[in-house]
Amino acid sequence: MAMTAVARETVFALRRQIAKIEGTLPERLQAPAAAAPDARVDAGPSIDVTIVRRGVAAALPDAFLPTGVERLDAALSGGLPKAALSEIHGIETRDAGAVAGFALSLTSLILKQTQGLPVLWIGTSEIFREAGFPYARGLHASFGIEPEQLLFSEAPKLVDALWVAEEAARMTALAAVILEIRGNPQRLDLTATRRLHARAQSAGRPVFLLRQAAEPEPTAAPVRLIVASAPAVPRDTIAGPLAGSIGRPAFTLTIGKSRTALPGQFTLEWNPDERAFDERRGEERAKNPVAVVSLSGGRKDPAAASGAVLAFPPIGSPAAGDQPPQGQRAAHLGPRRAG
Amino acid sequence: MISHRKGNAQRISALDERAEALHLKRDMGIADARAMHPSIDIVEADPQADRRLLEGLADWCDRYTPLVALDATDGLFLDVTGCTHLFGGERAMLDDILSRFFHQGFDVRAGLAATPGAAWAAARFASDRIVAGGEEEALLAPLPLAALRIEPATRTSLESVGLRTAGAVMAAPRAPLARRFGASLLLRLDQALGRLDEAVSPRLPVAPLSVERHLSEPVTLTEDIERLVGMLAAALKIDLERRGEGARMLALLLFRVDGAVSRIAIGTSRPMREPQLIQKLFHERLAALEQDIDAGYGFDLVRLSVLTAAAFDTQQADLAGEVTDDGADIALFADRIRARLGDGAVLQPVTVESHLPERAVATIPFTEAPRRTTPPKKPDRMQAPMTIFPPERPIRLFRSPEPIEVPATEMPEGPPLNFRWRRALYRVMRAEGPERIAAEWWREAASDEAASTRDYYRIEDADGRRYWLYRQGLYGGSQVPPRWFLHGVFA
Repeated sequence: MAMTAVARETVFALRRQIAKIEGTLPERLQAPAAAAPDARVDAGPSIDVTIVRRGVAAALPDAFLPTGVERLDAALSGGLPKAALSEIHGIETRDAGAVAGFALSLTSLILKQTQGLPVLWIGTSEIFREAGFPYARGLHASFGIEPEQLLFSEAPKLVDALWVAEEAARMTALAAVILEIRGNPQRLDLTATRRLHARAQSAGRPVFLLRQAAEPEPTAAPVRLIVASAPAVPRDTIAGPLAGSIGRPAFTLTIGKSRTALPGQFTLEWNPDERAFDERRGEERAKNPVAVVSLSGGRKDPAAASGAVLAFPPIGSPAAGDQPPQGQRAAHLGPRRAG
Repeated sequence: MISHRKGNAQRISALDERAEALHLKRDMGIADARAMHPSIDIVEADPQADRRLLEGLADWCDRYTPLVALDATDGLFLDVTGCTHLFGGERAMLDDILSRFFHQGFDVRAGLAATPGAAWAAARFASDRIVAGGEEEALLAPLPLAALRIEPATRTSLESVGLRTAGAVMAAPRAPLARRFGASLLLRLDQALGRLDEAVSPRLPVAPLSVERHLSEPVTLTEDIERLVGMLAAALKIDLERRGEGARMLALLLFRVDGAVSRIAIGTSRPMREPQLIQKLFHERLAALEQDIDAGYGFDLVRLSVLTAAAFDTQQADLAGEVTDDGADIALFADRIRARLGDGAVLQPVTVESHLPERAVATIPFTEAPRRTTPPKKPDRMQAPMTIFPPERPIRLFRSPEPIEVPATEMPEGPPLNFRWRRALYRVMRAEGPERIAAEWWREAASDEAASTRDYYRIEDADGRRYWLYRQGLYGGSQVPPRWFLHGVFA
């Protein structure tokens, strides 16, 4: 643990030094051009600009999209960059539901701020055939995205999909652009992603690149998240959790690449009613949920079993340092209240 | 020489001058012709190809007038009313048409007259003649009966009573003619003489506005064409502004030197008149069509027409001189995508009142429908409880439900314990349901397989992936065992 902390300090110190030599902030932390209106830049440094500093990270306050999960926001130093290309990976094509769900929950967070703007979802015919076409009713129910706000673009060829994405990335009239691609095609290389990233930066709008069944490879996206689905907790009722039911969508999120964050893993839960993320801390649920809550029932109170307090913090947890004290954790793990 | 099958025998349908010189005639049997001249070259007739060629020629004739009509299988009508002065008068225009056709390798006869009937006769029986208004009678009088465009049967019976020229028919009393040969003879006669109006139905609707540019030096480069489009659009803008309209559909016609015509049409989501925007749209379209357009020796006439126009509402700019309208941006964006990738490239979901999940959302090509800007209204308390607690719906739906293998279920009507989808085995950890969705009996016939009831289950597998399965049909209900499908994926 101590070794990690020392190494981290060293890395940060080196980064700071490099930034000082180059006279710039680290690239990832640069305020996007669109976020700072030209007038301010022209007028010189005497104009009031709020800059948020978190450690070495310095940026305009609205340059990031906070996920609302403290630990994740801290790891990403403020949230996902709002004016950038973000990669969201799924290991297998069958994870497409979770990957799309996570991207849509981010989109839903964005739509809270920019109301009324449409969202464009671009995909190749291949991925829509393999993983299913977005279903507007479900999107409305789970993420509060109105059917009127949705635009889909289905391109038979990857080249066309990329062209549409590039055209869309520079539009300020779109709240977000989602580009969904399967596998590791050669066309989607460093240059192509750099073009997308540059356009997203200048427009000040996020572009989510969903890659199903893809290996990580060098791209221009500052952040890469790997998403898999996580077993959902049972539904909450007044009488406590309902055994055997499937509650809110949950995701296992791994930070695959970030210029500031260390690799880490998070389990997030999406609250469709409030359109916000919750983090599920600790190992509330074992890998195999049946071991805890069996279908056949027989136990009087399954919730008690699922909320077992562990004697020790899990070994190798990346953020073991900020585990809350025992008392707090127990309270946190108590039955959730709806809403 | 071209043969065709007529009355159970191969006969000559068309022949060239050299064949005529050999004393071969139309409708002569092929066997006879071969017997006379064994070395003649015979080709099977291809009416479809002839038709395509005629339509190609009609397209090309569009350069003279927008009103071009096909006449049977071997003629074209051009309504040149009000167009001749653009080409330096009637004679100059006729000469221009004939010489251009000649250079393209066609042997064309043309006639110009005040009525379609007289022009038809002039073209076929008095080559290249221009008939002034009122001279129709003088033209027709010495011509044979065929010049009147009448049925061959009528013609033979007229000839059998000694009326061998059009003049003779004109001189004969009308009433007995009508009684004996039917009204169509007199109709044709009156139409040819201009006593009755004859409408020529053009092949294509006439564009309300069009601008064209004749080029003395043909252009071949796409960039040049795009620049020309910009110039033409600038000219169109003036007319559109005067009419208070914007273009909804535009067509670009490129006339190649050797007669081929390319027609490129684009649609716009909202009325448009800005030349730069129009040029941009055609830029995308031309980029997409790069392989399909063969410039050959170049295009010598470029025409931009507005096929459909709609009222254009002007918008007031704010004080900084900027019009901020996100809708316009999106409409233009969608137009550009569609210009390049086709109409279905930008889709929009529309909710439909239906219980069947695949019917409940229809995706339609993006249209500039009045988009809702106000937040949606809260669910009404008086509505059915179904809508207050809507059933869970997946975020992705397969276009066609994918069949899965279900070896066993805990209960006959219950969710599966495990299933095989795309050759992988999934263990069902938890399941919610069933949600029974009955088929829409008012659409499907009861015997139809799609008409059976579906029981939907929302299940979670061992890795936490959530799927939407359904069982089609009921156990024990009919002879057909129920089948299982995977229909959607949850977040």
